[in-house]
Amino acid sequence: MTAATQASQRAASGWLVLAFAGMAVLSLALATFLGVVDLPPSDVIAALAGHGSSEARSIILDIRLPRVVTGILAGIHFAVAGLLLQTITRNPLADPSLMGISQGAMLAVSGFLVFTVYVHDPGSNTLQALPLGWLPVIGTIGGMLAGGFIYAIAFRRDLGPLRITLCGIAVGAVLHAIGIGMIAGWGSARIEVLLEWFSGSLYARNWQHVVFLLPFTVAGLAILPLVRRPLALLRFEATVARSFGLSYRRQFSLALLIACVLAASAVGVVGPVVFVGLIVPHLARFIAGRRFDLVLPLTIALGAISVTLGDLVGRLLGQAEEIPIGVITAVCGVPVLVALLRRTA
Amino acid sequence: MTSGRTARPPAHHLRALTVTAAITVISLLVIAGGLTIGTRPLAPQAVMSALFTPDGKIDSILVWTLRLPRSLAAFVGGAGLAVSGYLMQTLTRNPLAGPELTGVSAGAVAPIVFCFVFLPWLSSALYPFIGMAGGLAGASATFWIARGGRGRPLHLALGGISVSLFLGAITTYVLLLSGPQVPSLLFWLSGGFQGRSWPQLAYMAPWVIVGVAGALACHRVLDLLALSEQAAAGMGLRLAFWKSAVLFLSVLPVAGVAPVAGPVAFVGLATPHIVRLLRPGSPAWSIALTVALGGLMTASADIIARSVAAPKEIPVGIITALIGGPVFIYLVQRRDGARAGGL
Repeated sequence: MTAATQASQRAASGWLVLAFAGMAVLSLALATFLGVVDLPPSDVIAALAGHGSSEARSIILDIRLPRVVTGILAGIHFAVAGLLLQTITRNPLADPSLMGISQGAMLAVSGFLVFTVYVHDPGSNTLQALPLGWLPVIGTIGGMLAGGFIYAIAFRRDLGPLRITLCGIAVGAVLHAIGIGMIAGWGSARIEVLLEWFSGSLYARNWQHVVFLLPFTVAGLAILPLVRRPLALLRFEATVARSFGLSYRRQFSLALLIACVLAASAVGVVGPVVFVGLIVPHLARFIAGRRFDLVLPLTIALGAISVTLGDLVGRLLGQAEEIPIGVITAVCGVPVLVALLRRTA
Repeated sequence: MTSGRTARPPAHHLRALTVTAAITVISLLVIAGGLTIGTRPLAPQAVMSALFTPDGKIDSILVWTLRLPRSLAAFVGGAGLAVSGYLMQTLTRNPLAGPELTGVSAGAVAPIVFCFVFLPWLSSALYPFIGMAGGLAGASATFWIARGGRGRPLHLALGGISVSLFLGAITTYVLLLSGPQVPSLLFWLSGGFQGRSWPQLAYMAPWVIVGVAGALACHRVLDLLALSEQAAAGMGLRLAFWKSAVLFLSVLPVAGVAPVAGPVAFVGLATPHIVRLLRPGSPAWSIALTVALGGLMTASADIIARSVAAPKEIPVGIITALIGGPVFIYLVQRRDGARAGGL
C-alpha cells in the first residue's frame, strides 16, 4: 500500500468519524427542538441562551435537555458494553440483557422497593413516596452482582465463551422470574413506576441522573484506550491470545468488569433498554468495514444516536402517553437480530 | 424396534413403574398434607372428616373449594408444562428447550394480555385458543430463527430469548397502557394458582390430558426422534409431518395452562432433566414420570407459595424459579455436559 492511499484512507476515516459525530450532534439538536409541546425554534434558542420565557426555559433546560443527555450517556454505555461483551465472549450475540446484567439490576430494584415499602409500613403498600432516588445505585449494584456471579461460575469452571453466554441466559432467566414474582406479590398500586422502569424509559430523567452516569462514562471511556491491544487479542481463542503474550484471564476479567460497570450503571438509570448493546456494534462494524480502529468511535456515536432518536420517536408517536424507549428498541432491534441469527445459525 | 422393546428385561419396566408409583404417592401425600396448611391450619382429623363427609361448614369449604382444587390445578398445570418441555427437548434434542426458552410461554402470554386489555368483550373461553395460536407462533419464530433448533443449542436459546424479550417488551407496554388492571395481570404473569378452583381446573385439564395422551400415543415416534433425524427417516418416519405434530402437541398443554396459571417458570425446563437422572428407559415411562414429577414439583411449590408468607401469597413462579433455576444453571455449567447435552 502506498503512502498516498494510506493517507487518503486515513482522511476518509477521519471524515467518517466526523460525519457520525455530526449526526450525533444533529440528533441531539433534533431531540431538543422537537417534543410534545410545540416550541418555536427561536424560543428554544432563547431558552438555551439563558433568556426567554420561564416556561420555555423549564421545558428545555429541566425536562428535555437532561433527558436527552441521559439518553446519550446510556446509549454509549449500552453500545460499548455490548461491543466489549461481543469481543471477549467471541459471540456476536452478546448483549447486557442477554447476559443477566439487566435482570440482576431489575431484581435488585424490585427487591429494594418491596423491602423498603414493607419495612416502612407493612400495613398499607401504596400511598407513600417511593425512594426513587436510590434506584440507580441499587440497580447498578444488582447488575454488578449478577455479572460477578456469572463471572464466578465461568471462572471456577473455566468455561468457554459459549458456556458463559448460556450461563448468562440462565442466570438472567432465573433472576427475571424472581423479580417479576416479587413485584407481583407486592401488588402495589404504584406498580406502573416499576413497569415503566422495566421497559426502559427516559421519562422524567433529570440532571441528577446525568451526574450519576457521567463519572462511569468518563472512567469507562478513559480506560478503553488502555485495553485496546488486549481487546484486539481477546478476539482470538485463548491459546492463540496467550501465545501473543496476553495474560488472558486478567485482561478478560478487566474487559468484563468494564462492560459490567457500564451496562449496570446504565440499566440502573434508564432500565433495560434491550438490543442497543447488541445491534449497535454490528452496525458500527458494518460501516467501518476493514478499518478496525474505527469500530469503537463509531459504536460510541451510533449508541448515542440510536437511543436519542429512539426516545424522540417514542415521545412523538405516543404524544402524552409516550412509548418507552425499550419498546422502540425491541421493535426495531428484533428484525436485525433475526437476520444476524439466521446468518450465523 | 418392537423386538428391541420386548427383549428388554421386564425388571426395567418394574423399576420405572415403582418410581412412577412412588412419585405419584408422594404427590398425593403432599397434596393431602397441603390441605392442613394455610392461614387457618386444620388438624389431620378435621381434614379427613371434611374430605369424606363434607358438611358445608367452613372446614369443608376450605378443603373442597379452596385447597383441594387449587392443589390439583397446580398438579395438572405442572404436569402439562413438564410434558411440554419433555416434548420440546426430544424434538430438538436440545437440553435448553422448554416453554420459556423457545418463546412459547411469551408467545402465549402476549396475545392474551393484549386481548384482556384491548378486547375485554372477548370471552375468556377463547383464551386457550389465543394462547395456542400465540404459543405456536412464538415457537415457530424461534425455530425459524434457529433453523429448526438442530444447530448449536446456543442459537435456539438466543433465538428464544430474543423472541421472549421482544414479546415481553410489548407485553410490558400493553400493561403500561392498561392502568388499573395492572396488579391482577402481573400476578397472573408471574404464574400462580391463587383462587383457582374447580372451574379453572376443568378448563385446563382437557388441554393437558390431550397433550399427555397424544405424547403417550406417539411414544414410538419420540423414541425414533430421540435417536437422530436420519435414523428416524430411515425407519420410515415421515419427518415433516411428525415434527410439526410433536411441536403442536408440545404447545397444547401450555395453551391450556397459561390462561389459568400464567407462565410458571422452569417446570417445563427442569423436570425432564430430573426425569432423565432417574433413567426411566423408554419414552412412555419418561412421559409418565415427567407428568408425576412436574405435578409434584408444582403442587409442592404452590403449597409453599401460599403458606410461607400467609396470609399474603408469593407467586408460585418465584418458588419454581428457585427450584428449577439452580438445576438449569447446574446443567449449563456442568463440564461433561458436552457429552450428555450435546453442547
